[in-house]
Parts: sequence; structure tokens; C-alpha cells
Amino acid sequence: MTLLAMRDVHTFIGQFHILEGVTLDVPEGEIVALLGRNGAGKTTTLKTAMGLTPARSGTITFDGVDISQRRSFDIASMGLGYVPENRAIFADLSVEENLRIAERQKGDFAKKEEFIFDLFPDLKRLIRLPGTNLSGGQQQMLAVARALVPDNRLLLIDEPSEGLAPVIIEHMMEAIRQLSDRSTVLLVEQNFIVASRLAQHYVIVEEGRTVQAGAMADLVDDEEAIKKYLGAA
Amino acid sequence: MTAANATVSAGFRSWLQRRRGVLLLAAALVLFPFVISILIDGQGVGAVLANDQGNARFLQGLAIEIFILALYAISYDLVLGITGLLSFGHAMFFAVGAYSFGILLKSFDIAWPVALLIVLVAALIQAVLFALVLPRVKGITFALVTLGLASVFWIVIQSSDLSDWAGAEIGLQGVQPPVWFLDTTNERFAFYLVTIAILIGVFMVYTRIVDSPAGKVLVAIRDNEDRALMLGYNTFWFKLLALTVASITAVLAGALHALHQPIVTPNVAGLGFTVTALLIILIGGVGTISGALVGAAVFRLLQFYLDKWFGGASDLLIGLAYVAIVLYLPFGIVGTWRAKAVQRRKGLDFVGSLVSGRKR
Amino acid sequence: MSSRTDGGAGRLSQMIQENRTRVTVLAVLLFLFLAAFGGLDREDWFSTIMQGLSVGAITFLVASGLSLIFGLMDVLNLAHGEIFMLGAYFGWTIYTRFDTALDIVIPLLLLAAPFLLMPIWRTMASRVGTTAAVHRAIGWVLLLGGGLVTWLSITRFPLVIWDAKEFAFSPGSYSTQVDLGVLAPLGADSFNGAAVVAVIGLLFGGVILALAVSFFQRTPAEAAVSPRRMGAAAGLVLLAIVLHLTKGSINDWVFGLSTSWRFFLAMAIAVAMGAAVGAFIEVLLIRPLYDRPIYQLMLTLGVGFILIEVVREVWGRPEFTMARPALFNGTGEGCPGQGIGGFFSGCSTVDMFGARLRVYNEGFVFLVGILVLIGVTLLLKRTRIGMIIRAGVQDPDMVEALGINVRRVFTLVFALGSSLAALGGVLAAPSIGLSTGMGALFLLSALIALAIGGLTSFPGAAAGAVLVGLLQQLIIRFGQNGIDLPFLAEPFKPTPTLVPAASVLLMVIVLLLLPAGLFGRSER
Repeated sequence: MTLLAMRDVHTFIGQFHILEGVTLDVPEGEIVALLGRNGAGKTTTLKTAMGLTPARSGTITFDGVDISQRRSFDIASMGLGYVPENRAIFADLSVEENLRIAERQKGDFAKKEEFIFDLFPDLKRLIRLPGTNLSGGQQQMLAVARALVPDNRLLLIDEPSEGLAPVIIEHMMEAIRQLSDRSTVLLVEQNFIVASRLAQHYVIVEEGRTVQAGAMADLVDDEEAIKKYLGAA
Repeated sequence: MTAANATVSAGFRSWLQRRRGVLLLAAALVLFPFVISILIDGQGVGAVLANDQGNARFLQGLAIEIFILALYAISYDLVLGITGLLSFGHAMFFAVGAYSFGILLKSFDIAWPVALLIVLVAALIQAVLFALVLPRVKGITFALVTLGLASVFWIVIQSSDLSDWAGAEIGLQGVQPPVWFLDTTNERFAFYLVTIAILIGVFMVYTRIVDSPAGKVLVAIRDNEDRALMLGYNTFWFKLLALTVASITAVLAGALHALHQPIVTPNVAGLGFTVTALLIILIGGVGTISGALVGAAVFRLLQFYLDKWFGGASDLLIGLAYVAIVLYLPFGIVGTWRAKAVQRRKGLDFVGSLVSGRKR
Repeated sequence: MSSRTDGGAGRLSQMIQENRTRVTVLAVLLFLFLAAFGGLDREDWFSTIMQGLSVGAITFLVASGLSLIFGLMDVLNLAHGEIFMLGAYFGWTIYTRFDTALDIVIPLLLLAAPFLLMPIWRTMASRVGTTAAVHRAIGWVLLLGGGLVTWLSITRFPLVIWDAKEFAFSPGSYSTQVDLGVLAPLGADSFNGAAVVAVIGLLFGGVILALAVSFFQRTPAEAAVSPRRMGAAAGLVLLAIVLHLTKGSINDWVFGLSTSWRFFLAMAIAVAMGAAVGAFIEVLLIRPLYDRPIYQLMLTLGVGFILIEVVREVWGRPEFTMARPALFNGTGEGCPGQGIGGFFSGCSTVDMFGARLRVYNEGFVFLVGILVLIGVTLLLKRTRIGMIIRAGVQDPDMVEALGINVRRVFTLVFALGSSLAALGGVLAAPSIGLSTGMGALFLLSALIALAIGGLTSFPGAAAGAVLVGLLQQLIIRFGQNGIDLPFLAEPFKPTPTLVPAASVLLMVIVLLLLPAGLFGRSER
């Protein structure tokens, strides 16, 4: 069943036409990788789904409900979690507060505490530290963990491996694999190897348009498409 | 020789062409008092020249106030609208002109051209003062620092320590006109012509600046200073240029104000007077230059008639109009007019095609 | 790792390293203040500090709201001083003329009620299918028409004694009466034909104004009117009518209270009114402009201007004084009080360390300032809403993406900041009196305090306010005593008008050295 569907979505930022027709489907319970070159519109696609850069035309449905004109908080409350590219950790808040602020109902955090700290044992140790003192990898873990606090059905994760050391990327991939047991994931990933090992499906955007989509297993063999849209693999 | 003459006259003709609107406006303004005198007062042309009482004389006075406001607002438009510097101390530019020119004429016995020169030097100094602050503080902090500098000036001219010169809280009074054509009481028409000449001259200089390469850099600074820097412009000098030109203009306006008004109140240095400039260019259209002229006329006439009809409540109405304009007419009169120009031209063409019966 | 294991001393030295300019500026400021206080006698020294803290406390009440609003929404609310002023006028009116306060609140309630039903008007406006230009034209016509209807109704509303004419005939006696809180005869009949017409007219005016605003927005409402809002609107109207009918007995009850109780009542109501005014401004005026920041700034300037004119129109007279409540106004036997205990003796003044302090100014105002500082700090650090505010200061979009309605938080913070300013206004009224210029004066002080402390830093606002307060009182004190300057034969006596100039100069110097202020973060 399709959880998130975007049909011919157009988005403007200021006067700039960023998305010029993105169409994608995210089937429930799976991981979908959103691929494409730098500046192809991957991040804007996630932001548009999240309502942060609202779509000017096209439809976006989540679980059958049209969310294209809804405010961001409203969309999030329906069960979408967002892990932005820059991580957007709240620097003035402690690690614990960074997690608690994501609660949608009282007790969300307590319910998920064990699961989150199993995934990211580091965070437990750092719980009192302000967000600004964390390293890049720890911030990334916190950003993912924050999206896990409420019961999100879909996670939009933007570039989880960016700027991280190989060991930590490995850890992060394992975490994403585990959390995908609980929720669907739409993943933006520059690193094709990471994406191909995690995702079951892929969508490629190029200059703000969807150009190709399908099962990840097919793309891995399609060297031409990889070269054409993603640069050298 | 004839060839040179021909190019000169051709150049002059094309200049006339380009400046047609402004020159027509100037001519209309010069004729305006005579028209009023004949049509409304039932007096002749001589009445204007003889400085007789009547609507013509009164309306000239009001027009002079509008021109002074326009001069002041146009300089603010250069700073805020064109260069994008959010200065809250612009009233100080005007007040420095009004006070220093007035005090020099009244308390120090010096010739008016010398006084004017000193005032221009003061203009230069304050522009440099504002510009020196610029590299350190940007945006809202620049607004605060300029507000602070202007407030200090506002406070100092009101202090009793300087009351012999500046007249403390009452203001500066008793400035005598130094020469006949700057005498608004006895030779109003001459003074009227002087203010028109200055305003038209300044307006032409400003449009010239905005159209020049330097003007393009100023707009680039407003839109994205980092990009302007990256293109290799030392934005500091351009900002200094804008502030200097604006300061000189505002100081001139202030000097005229000191001559025209029987009393210069400290209000002209306060935040309220900066807001007046803001209001004028908002009405006219921020960053349009000509909007300042339109805005000044609308603002002063609105103020005058609202005061006449509603008395004390007029300020409240002006405030409400201001808020409504900010909310619902963000491009002002000239800005909206220009934005619609394309549509209008299409409309005119359409009407023209109907009249001529030709399909385009 | 080393910095973490080094412990406190290491981290301190590292902090000093990182903030060298900041620490130097702080040290120089501290030195200058100490040097300045060194030139005073001990009594002067103590009372100057206490007066500085008192002025600082009021400045802080204005600055804290400004800082919260600017931090969260990037709106420098230049109308904040006028909300402070409005607080003072509200407080004064409730304190000395409760009957009139009631009469002013009633039309406001009626006018506000239709705005609660905005979705209805917006849907109505969006149904009128014409071009944008015609839409806007209709909006302007309605705006003018609604303004006119409101004006005509409000002037016909039977205010108890709020008669500008009466003031015009005998300003002297009217003023003394008002200052003493002597009651003029109550309006004979509060529910006559004129009142009914006025009530309906105001409701009608409110509807037209709300409709005018909707015509400018042009988009249909996001959601239908919830029954709760419906109820709230009906409740406001009902409340207004009930208040109007029963105001005689309410007035009798309030005027039977002691001045102390009336003062606390004034504080409470002024705070509530400040919050309401703040929320109203944010929702109606600031919210449409979040994507045009400079226009927001210009707008707040205009709102401040309007509030001053409204006060001029409604209160008729620019200046009032306000008597201190009985609790802080005792004289005679056993007064002035001695030492700390003297603050609770009910005297108006107290002797402490050889200095004579005023219980209201240096005691009560200061105490409220401290309580607000503690309260807001706790709110920010310990509550969920505080957590959201702190997160929103950094990244409101991300907060929204977590499922939190940030706009509602914006409104809340605007209301909170405005209520703090209004509280400051009430507190300031008995000590400095009321005038339409008081807002601008304290806004300037608060802006200076903010700029010194770092625009978005809450502790910075407190520190800046205290610095500004101390500096102002020091200059005033030196203005009385005179300063011996090396090159002058006579001591230099700065005139009182120069007091604000000194703090402005302090701000300019601090900002030029530290563009981000003492506690602010440098630009991201």
C-alpha cells in the first residue's frame, strides 16, 4: 500500500522554480531512496512533503489524505518525522530536551527511550550535554533519534551519511535498517553504495523532475542510468 | 564648428527628450501660482510677483513645504530604498542642516555662502560618521546605532546648556533671511522658484545616479551584499557615496526648512521625523526615487486637510493610513503604477486596436 | 577531550581565550563603574545603586519582552514602548477610575468579538469572485466604512465621566479630581436608547472591519470556525452586555476596596490587557508580514504611533500622576522604617546603610523585577513551552516540523512580552507618572539594554537593563553633586537631559566593539 504519494508537484522558492514535476510513491513498510545529483531538488522534495516549502501545484497524499495545503505542524502530527540535512539540532537544548521536544503526547519519550538508546548507546551517555557540544556523528544520531520519539509512520531522512566517518556511517546504516522495521523511510542519499544497500526502491530526480523509478535491485545493474543521473558510481 | 554645434544641440535635444516629464512638471509648478492667482483669487499675474496675500501665496507656502519634504524623503529613499541601509537616524541628517544653517546665520555673523559651505562640510562629516559604523554593525544593529546617534543629537539640541543657540525645547527661532531670494516672507515667489530649482536639480542628479553603474552597485548591495562583494566591489565606498549624497541633500532640505519656517523645533531630529520620511517613501513607493515626490505631496496634503477636517484626530488617522499602506499597498503609488505599466500598455494597445479596427 | 578532563579552571581559561574582547569590555565597564562609585559618599553610593536597580527593573520588564519577541520571531517590536505606556494608562484608570476603565473595556470587547470569527468573513470574502484589484478596492471601502461606523458608535457610547469637554472647561479642577480619584456622578441611565444603538453599532463596525481585513487576504479560511471560537465570540458579547448592565454594582464594590487591593487589581488587569493587546497586534498585523521583515518593523512603528494617538484621544489629557497605594505610603509614627525590616513596616521610606530609600521604588519595584526574572527564567528552562521557545529562537521551521504549531507559540510569546511591558507600565506609573512620551523613553532604554546585552539573549536583557539603570542614576547623581574634571575649575554638572545621551553613547561604544552585544552570539 502506498503511504506517501506525490503527483506532478511544483514548488517555488521565491521566484525560483525548484521542483518542476516530482512524482513518487513510497510503499508502506519499505525504504525508498531518493537519488540525484547535487541541486536536483531532493532536499526540496522532502521539505515540500513536510510542508516547509509548500507546493504550488500538484497533489501530495499521505495515507490517502491530501496534505499539500496543510501547515507543517499539521502534517507532522499525522505521523511524519523529518531529519533535515543540516541536522537542525537545537544547540541551546540538552540532548534530553532535544528528544523531549519531539513528544506529541506526554510519555512518548519514556515509551521509546529503551529502543532509542539501544540504537544509539552514545546518546545515553551524553544526555545532559547541550546539543552544541556534540560531534557531527552524535548530532546526526540525535537528529534521527528525535524523529523516533513520537509514533511516526514515515520518516524523511536527508543525507544521514554526509560528512561522517566510515565507522559511523556503518552504525547509522544499521540503525536505519532497524528502525525501518517500525516505520517507512524516504531516504535522500548521495552515497549510492549506502543507498543501494539500504533501500528496496529508488526514485531519481533530475532538475526538479522525476526521471526514473523502480526497484533498487534493477538500478544496481543499470550502469547507464547510474552514470547518467548520479555521476560515476 | 557647425558640426560640433550640431552635436551639442542634438545632445541637448535628446536630453530634453529624456527629461521631458520632469521639465514639464517644473514648468507647470512655475506657472501654478499664476493660475491660482488668476482663477481663484481673481488677481493678476502681478499679485504673485508683488507677494500679495491670497490663496496663491498660501499655496506656494504649502508647496515649498512639500518640496522640502520631498528633498528630505528622496535622500532617505537613496539610503533605504536603493542601497538598503536601514537607518533610523535619518532625521539627524535633516536636523543638522536646519540647526547648523540657522545657528550660523543667527548667532554668528557670517555670509550665507560661507555658512552653506560649513553646513556642507558638516553633512560630509555626519555621512562619514554613519559610514564608519557600517562595517561593524549590519541590519537591525545598524538601525539601532543610527537611532542612537540621532537620539544623542536630538537630546543635545534640547539641552538647556545650548539654549542660547538652539533654543532648547522650544526650538530655533529668529533666523533672518540672508539674501532677497531666500526670503520666504517678503519674496515668496523667488523662494518658491529656488526650492523648485533645487528639487528638480536634485531629482535629476538622483535619477542619473540610480541609472549609472554606481547605482547598479547600490541596488546590488541592497539585494545581496555578499554577492556584490564577490563581484569585486568594495561595497564600503559605494555605501559611503550613497550616505554622502543623501546627507548633502537632507542638509540642503534642512537649511531651506530653517529659512522657510519661523521656528525649527527639535522634533525634526526625533524618531518621529525619520518615520515621516519612511511614511512618505512608503506612500510613494520604496526605491522608486520619483515616489518620494509623489509621497511628499500626498503626505503633506493629507496631513493638511485631515488636520483641517478632523483636528486633533488627524494624527490618529495618518497613523491608521500608514499601517494600512504597509499592510496592503506595499509598493506605494509609483511602485504599483510601474508594476502595472506592462498591463496598462497592453490595455492601451488593445483599446487602440479596437479604435483603429486593425488586428495586431 | 583534554578540556573536558581539565575541569573548571581549564574551561574558564578557554572561555576567556575565546571571548577576549568580550571579557575586556566587561572588565573595563566594571572598572569604570567602580571608579565612578568611588567618587561618591557611602550613602549616595548605596542609594544610587538601589535607584539604578529600580530603574533597571522597569527597563528590564520592557527589554525582556522585546528580547523574547525578537529572538523568536525576528520582529523588533518598536510598539513595545507604547504597550508599556498603555499598561500605565490601563493601570492608572483601573486604580483611580475603575468606572471609566469598565466603560472603555466594554466597547473594546464588542469590537474584538467579530474578529474571533475571522474564518467566516474570510470564506465570505473569498466567495466574492472578482479580480484581485476589485477585491482590494472593496477592502479599502470596507476599511473606511467600518472605521467610520466604529468612530460614530464609539463617540456615542455613554462613557461615565470621560468627558473631554468637562476637562476643557476647567482643566485644573478636573485634573485634581481625577488625580485624587474623586468620583464624578455616575452616568444616570446606563441602558438607554443611545447605549443600545452604540452596542449594535460597535458590533457592526467590528464585523465590517473584520470583513475588510478578510478582503485583503483573499484566501479561504484554513478551517471552519470551531464551536469553541463561536462560544468565545458569543461570550465576549455577552460579557460586554452583562458588564454594561451591572457596572453600577461592580463599581461600588471596587471603590470599596483599599488602594492597595485596587493597585494589585490594576496590576492584574493591566497585565491581562497587555497580553490581549499583544496577541491582537500579532495575529492581525504582524502575522501577514512574516515574509516581509522590514515592513514588520515599519508596521510596529506605525502601531506605536497609533497607540499614542489613541491614548491622546481616549484619555484626553497627556499627563497624569498616580498616588502610591496605601501599603507603600505610610507616614507618621515609626516612620521611616529601619533596615530590612523597615520594608515591611508600611512606611513610604526606609533608612538603610545611612541612605534613605523609598519602599515602593527601591523595594517593591525591584522585588517584582527580580520575581519576573526568576519566573521567566524558570519558564524558559523548566517548562515545555520554554523549551519550545528556546528551540524556536534557533530554528522555528524545525520546531514546526516536529508537529508544534509555532504560530500559536509566536502569538503566546508576543502576548507574554506585551504583558510584561504592561506590568512595567503599571509599576512605573506611581513613581514617574504617566505621559504619552513615557513609552518612547523606556523603549529607547530597553533597546539600549538589549543592544548592550545581545539582542536575543534573555540574561543579556537583564544585565543590559541593570547597566543602563545604574548608568542613568549615576549621571543624575553626578548632575547633583558635580564631577571634578581635571581641566575645569568648577565641577562639571551634566544636565538631566543628558542622561539618556550617556546610555546611548554606552550602547554605541559597546556595539562598535562587540556587534553582537555582551551576551549575544555572533552572527550565524
